[in-house]
Parts: sequence; C-alpha cells; structure tokens
Amino acid sequence: MAPRTVAPFGPQHPVLPEPIQLKITYEDEKVVNVVPALGYGHRGIEKACEINEYPKNIHLCERICGICSCMHGISYCEVVERLWPMEVPPRAKYLRTIWSEMSRTHSHLLWLGLLADALGFESMFMQFWRIREKVLDLLEMTCGSRVTQSVSVVGGVRRDIDDEQKKICIRTLQEVRKEVEALVNVLATDPTVKARTVGVGVLTKEQAILLGNNGPHLRASGVKEDCRMLGMQAYGELGFEPIVETDGDCYARALVRAREALQAIDLQLEAFSKMPEGEIFVRPKGSPPANEAVYRCEQARGEVFYYAKGNGTRNLERLRVRTPTFANIPSLLVMLPGSELADVPIIVLSIDPCISCTER
Amino acid sequence: MIENLKEISKDTLLQEVQKFADAKARFVTTVCSDLGDKLEVTYYFNYSPGVDMVALRMFVGKDEEVPSISGIYLTAVLSENEMFEQYGLKVKDMAIDFGGLMLLGKDSPVKPMVKDNAAGGKGGE
Amino acid sequence: MPVMLPTVIRNLFGGPATRMYPVQVRDPFEGARGHIEFNDDKCILCGNCARRCPAAAIEINKEKNELVFYPARCIICFVCVEACNKDAVIASNKWRTPYYTKPVEVHVAKGKKEKAKKE
Repeated sequence: MAPRTVAPFGPQHPVLPEPIQLKITYEDEKVVNVVPALGYGHRGIEKACEINEYPKNIHLCERICGICSCMHGISYCEVVERLWPMEVPPRAKYLRTIWSEMSRTHSHLLWLGLLADALGFESMFMQFWRIREKVLDLLEMTCGSRVTQSVSVVGGVRRDIDDEQKKICIRTLQEVRKEVEALVNVLATDPTVKARTVGVGVLTKEQAILLGNNGPHLRASGVKEDCRMLGMQAYGELGFEPIVETDGDCYARALVRAREALQAIDLQLEAFSKMPEGEIFVRPKGSPPANEAVYRCEQARGEVFYYAKGNGTRNLERLRVRTPTFANIPSLLVMLPGSELADVPIIVLSIDPCISCTER
Repeated sequence: MIENLKEISKDTLLQEVQKFADAKARFVTTVCSDLGDKLEVTYYFNYSPGVDMVALRMFVGKDEEVPSISGIYLTAVLSENEMFEQYGLKVKDMAIDFGGLMLLGKDSPVKPMVKDNAAGGKGGE
Repeated sequence: MPVMLPTVIRNLFGGPATRMYPVQVRDPFEGARGHIEFNDDKCILCGNCARRCPAAAIEINKEKNELVFYPARCIICFVCVEACNKDAVIASNKWRTPYYTKPVEVHVAKGKKEKAKKE
C-alpha cells in the first residue's frame, strides 16, 4: 500500500481570503480524507448583540464580514423591523436594493479575480480588481465608505442619492458592464481555464440538496432556488430570474457568478429608472415588542438566515445569524476525497469561502 | 411570528427529520435559545427547489441528551457542535465531534451564550 | 495575432492604468466619512453623542465641564454628527493619518457658559 501523508491546507494560504485549516490526508497525489479545523476568527458577535441596545447592533453586524458587510447591515434592519412589524417607505426599499446589488457586483468581481489568481492568470486578476475599484468608488460616493457602509437604520436609510450622483452612477455602471463582459468572455473561452476547471469537484443535484448548499454553489448544480424569489425589498417589482447551470463543476460555478455580476448591474440600472420619490426614514415607535421574526436574504455568497427575538426592552433577547459559508463547508468533506492534490485550491475557492462570516 | 411552526419532542425528532429527507428538503439551520430553566431548539428546513420554509421546535432540559441528525443530514454537524459549545446541549453520536473546541479555545469561557454568563464591560475596553 | 493588435496598440499609447500615488492624490468625495472634530463653542454637554456612540468613544464629565474623545476607539460611523442638535460635531471627509500612541482629546465645553451669561 502506498504511504499516506497528512498536509495542512491553511490556515494561511494564498488562495484563502480568511484563515481555515483543512488537514488533508493524501496517497500518491489523490486526496483520501479531509478534517476541518475552524475557530481562527471567532469573536462572539451573537453574545455582544444581546448586551448592546438594538440600534448599536447594526455596526456590530456589519463587521461580521468585510466583503458582504452592506447586506449584513440591511438584513439586521429588516429582521428587527419584522418584530413590530413595520414597513419602510418605498424609496428606502429601492435604495436598499441598489446598494445590495452594488455590493453583490463588487463581491463577485473580487471572487473572479481570486479565481484567476488561483489558476495563475495574474494579469486577469489585476484587471478584475481594477474594474472593481470603480464600483467601490461609487459606494464611497453614495454611502460614505468603501467597506462597512453603515447606511441602513431600523426604519429606513440614512442617506439619499440625488440627481447628480445618480447620473454619475449610471454612467459608471454602463462602463463597468462593458469591461466586465469583455473579461468574462475571455475567462469563459480560454482553453487553459477550461482544462483546470471542467469536471473538477462535481456535485450532482441530489447531493447538493442533501448537503445543504445554497447560493451560486447550489444553482450551479441545476437547482433553481434564490431567496430573491421571495420578493422582499424591491425585487418583486423588478424583473428577476435566477441563473442556473446544470454541470455542477467548478466551471459551472464560475459561470453562474460571472453572469450574476452582469445581472446585478442590469438590476441596478433598472432600479435607478423605476425609483419613486418620497421620504427615506420612518421612526419606529417604542422598543421592539416580545415577538420573534425570521428573515432570509440572498447575499453574494448564498442565503443568509437571520432570527431575532425581542422582549419589550431596548435590548434584543436573541439574535442568530447563519451565514452561507457555514452551510457550504460540509460539501467540501464530500468533494475533496477522490480529487487530485493540485485541484484542492480550486475546489476550496469554488465554494466562495468567507470564514469570518462562518465564525462570527 | 414564525409561519409553519410544528412542535415536537426529542423522541420523535429522527422520524420527522427522515420525512423531510424523503421529501428532498434542504436543511437550513438550527437555532438554540435559553429560556432560563430549559433550552428551546428549532430546526428549519426548506423544500427545494423553491423558497417554502418549515420549522420544528422542541423544548429540552439543560441536562437532557438529544439525538443527532447528522446521520441523515451531514451538514448539521457544524450547527450541532456549535450548540454543544455555546449552550451545553448534549448531542449524541455526531458524525464529526470537535469536543467543544470548534469555535472556542482551551482558555475561552465555558458555555458563553447561557444567560447568567453575561460578559459585561463597556465597548472598547 | 490580429486579435491581439487593438489591445496592444491601446496599451502602448494609453498611458498608465493606475494613479501615481503618492505624487498624485485623489480628492476625497464630498460625502465620504473621514474623521470627526469637535467645536467647543457650541457644545452644551447634553450627552446625546455619548449615549448613541456604538464604540463608547465619547465620555461626558459634567462636574469638570469637559468632553473626552478617544479617536482610537472611533469607528467613524457619524451617528454622533446626526445626533448632535447644536452642530457641535463637525464631519470631515479627510482620512486620518497613522499615529504612534493612542491620543486622548479633552475638550472644555463653552456652549453652556454662554447660555448662562445671556440669562
């Protein structure tokens, strides 16, 4: 029998944005077993949210993750608003949708750059990130900061987009769309990219559902499921259809995310044209009543689940956050055994790991 | 309020979860809450493809043992380990048992989410 | 080769794709959140900013008539700017420069004294 070696993948690895350790047992270049080890980024945010008063938790929840921070803040506000329950004004719903889609665009561009870097295609990595800078400039102009935007409050949003900023946004988004489309065409048709990603890390439809995958990871295996179909915020009024691929390998996941980035730009342009006038904030009455509420949102990486329970005071009784990568990691334990050792970074990157989200 | 909530006991848990596995539902998450003298554990499932979500809720004492559903749904192993670490809920026969060291370290506070272990202190200290 | 030609010509004559920082610095946007400053003449020590701060970076001391601000704890969320009724917290869009030791700013509030003089 060939000798078996145990190698640590992580916690520091060029492919990983955040630390996670996978102890890989391999035998002659084929992976045999995987044991994960988490806990490098645990900060106890769920406990801290019970100690603070409820308006201060927005800033805590945004710092769960740096890349998906806009949508964490918006989801927290939405779940606390459902405790009363109260409605926000329509213009606030459209503004939240625009900022969510902007956040999704920059997150997918980041992931496409990381994929190109993992394959060794460094010039494409730099081109994707150069285009991403334009989207981050838009976020800084409208929200105030590139990361941790803090633009949503319980009851609405803090800032408005006036006409001058709207013209700049629409012009920049149209330029970004042309450049992203050209780059995505190169990535999708390059023969070396295809040779390293087609047929690697395959998950069938039944396996994907049983393993609890969500988001683009699930849609690449042929399951038509997207939380935006629930119609929250302004998605019910925009024409929206989920993007599905059927192959279930790393190439299909890359195509789903690339097409979602283009779809996000189209949704923003549509929301800009349909946005109604009106106020942007409604003051909530009193403290959150003794009630419980659940909210699911489609972040860039998948489906995030927020649960809140109030008890009549200004502190929340319980806040639970289940982030998409928390449910996507067990699928690694099924995909990695049987694959080649050189494919391990590509497979780990294809679930879009956000470990600081996982460990909160 | 939570829609589609069904109350069960810990003895019927595995049968109910098997029904969801036969209907090809996707496991979403578990939520554990401290009610003072007992723990409230809720399991959420989603009928795939689609967005209908269903919840199962059970109440257990702080010293009781709960069967693990990671034999049916492997993905529940991370949620159950987290409930064991943070609340002290004993779960039998988990597929991968981290022994209370998944998110917490050896010097961390024990069972931090239970109500009387309040952290206290001002922010920024 | 003919497919690459437009890209080659564009890159040869297009100039650098990035800004020559630190020689060329971009002006910050108008609404960008840079840092906060306090206007001592307008502060009346009402304590709104200290109550709403998520990071506990502002402390009000009514006996000594002063406001203590810890810039190292500040997360620049601008909740204090919106909470102040007297416009004593000034929002600035220039980013902070690094420092070697954590500073503590002590401001003596002068807004209340003027009100007492008028009465």
